[in-house]
Amino acid sequence: MDKPSCCSPAPDAAPVVLETKRLSVRAGERLLLREVNLRISARQVFGIIGPSGAGKSTLLKCLNRLTDLAPNLKVTGDVLYQGNSIYTGNVDVDHVRARIGMLFQQPVVFPQSIVQNVLFGARHLRPLSRREKHELAERALGEAALWHEVKDRLNEPALRLSVGQQQRLCLARALAVDPEIILMDEPTSALDPKSTDAIEELIHRLKELRTIVLVTHNIAQARRVTDWLACVCVRDGGGIVAETACCDTMLTSPQCREVAEYLEHAAP
Amino acid sequence: MRRTADKLFTCLAVGAALLAALPLVLIVSAIVWRGLPAVDWRFLTGQVMQVGAAGGVFYNLIGTLILVLTALLVSAPLAVGAALTLGVYLKPGGRAQRWFGLLVYTLNGVPSILFGLFGLIVFVKFFGWGKSWLAGGILLGLMILPTVTVALWERIQSLPRRYIEAAAGLGLTPTQIVWSVILPQSVNGLVTGSLLGLARAAGETAPIMFTATIFAGATWPTGIKESPVLSLPYHIFILAQDSFDPAAGAKIWGAALVLLALVFLLSLLALPARLKIHEEAHHG
Repeated sequence: MDKPSCCSPAPDAAPVVLETKRLSVRAGERLLLREVNLRISARQVFGIIGPSGAGKSTLLKCLNRLTDLAPNLKVTGDVLYQGNSIYTGNVDVDHVRARIGMLFQQPVVFPQSIVQNVLFGARHLRPLSRREKHELAERALGEAALWHEVKDRLNEPALRLSVGQQQRLCLARALAVDPEIILMDEPTSALDPKSTDAIEELIHRLKELRTIVLVTHNIAQARRVTDWLACVCVRDGGGIVAETACCDTMLTSPQCREVAEYLEHAAP
Repeated sequence: MRRTADKLFTCLAVGAALLAALPLVLIVSAIVWRGLPAVDWRFLTGQVMQVGAAGGVFYNLIGTLILVLTALLVSAPLAVGAALTLGVYLKPGGRAQRWFGLLVYTLNGVPSILFGLFGLIVFVKFFGWGKSWLAGGILLGLMILPTVTVALWERIQSLPRRYIEAAAGLGLTPTQIVWSVILPQSVNGLVTGSLLGLARAAGETAPIMFTATIFAGATWPTGIKESPVLSLPYHIFILAQDSFDPAAGAKIWGAALVLLALVFLLSLLALPARLKIHEEAHHG
């Protein structure tokens, strides 16, 4: 789990895959996020830290328009995926979400078998033959480091798995769709240390091919797995990105007073 | 003093409950007591004879089953559409949802005789069907539509949001989410609502008396126009009202018992699905 030293790969070397431009979110009258500008480079782990309730999860959900499902949220500004806005009228939102997957805080397992859960998204994107289904399930479960634990009981109910296994199953389900970006919303906060290690190890492996945006409130985890960090803080009642920097720089010498205060209180 | 007041109140509550249950117990025991001697295999498989004073209720049972099954086929797809509209497509708490919800509850309050008159005007006269099993089935289906819709709607509302978010996060379209998440996980509501609705529909007389059912002379329906069926509730209604033959008395109780058994069976079938809902509610 060796992490290369600060700012590698250099932020300008890798192309930017996801970018927010003056992204603001309102819930009715209340401003949740104000004018967020982020640039997220390919094949990096981009961490989002900050105090509870500052809007980290909301920011994450804006990145694949899951905010659409909450009718009271109003998003202004823009998010560019590979240079194209995902908020203009004619964008295929479902296609965007297939390219930008999501892993939630609590594993969301459907009351079906393990293999049905893995293929839940993929089988809706294109028709799969019996063999393709098997190969895809094996590949996705393998990539999520779960294959060896479940290969003999693929048809058992997924709810029988431990919470840690369920979370890896959810990751396998997202990977089966072959997303370019995976958004993770505190994916280990419900897990025991061993499962947490497994997920963190996976994040390291996954970033060889994919980009990961990770919300975490665990500073040690941010130090272990992220390359770049954005810190979301509350200012004047609304969430703002107070500082963006390479992981080591922010954690050792934050420039912004709010970030310094947050790190001081949150440090383990 | 407060202890005594507590006890008094408990006694009153239990007393009210017993009083409420008493008529049900009396009715059921009277029907079983007086109906059981009349019911045997020949009663269940025989035809009406001597204006109901002899024979059995085979075609009445068949007719009621045909009406109930048609009602199921009519109400289920409409209820799915209505519940999805209420629970998925309309904005929660929005004006359209409130009005449509009110409409469904109002439909539930429409007296059943008005369904009968509506059917008489539309199906019997305007469509020229005369008395037809299809008209009766459609009317019963419309009558139980609110029950089925609300049961399904409530189930859809209680679905955890995280399922829908997870499915959307995988790139499923709204239609795919409906078919692979919302409907499979709320089908219990459809089953429960349908069975409870059908249990009620099976005993209704008013919607079918002008539109679908006659007292004697019908067997299996052969078409739609002028194709009535016999039915259990109408049979009981006519015998109780018009028959002066004492032999018909025992037959009324027998028919009532068969109807009660059918209704009880439908309610009983709904039980496992209802228990499952409770279980899930307790386990979050």
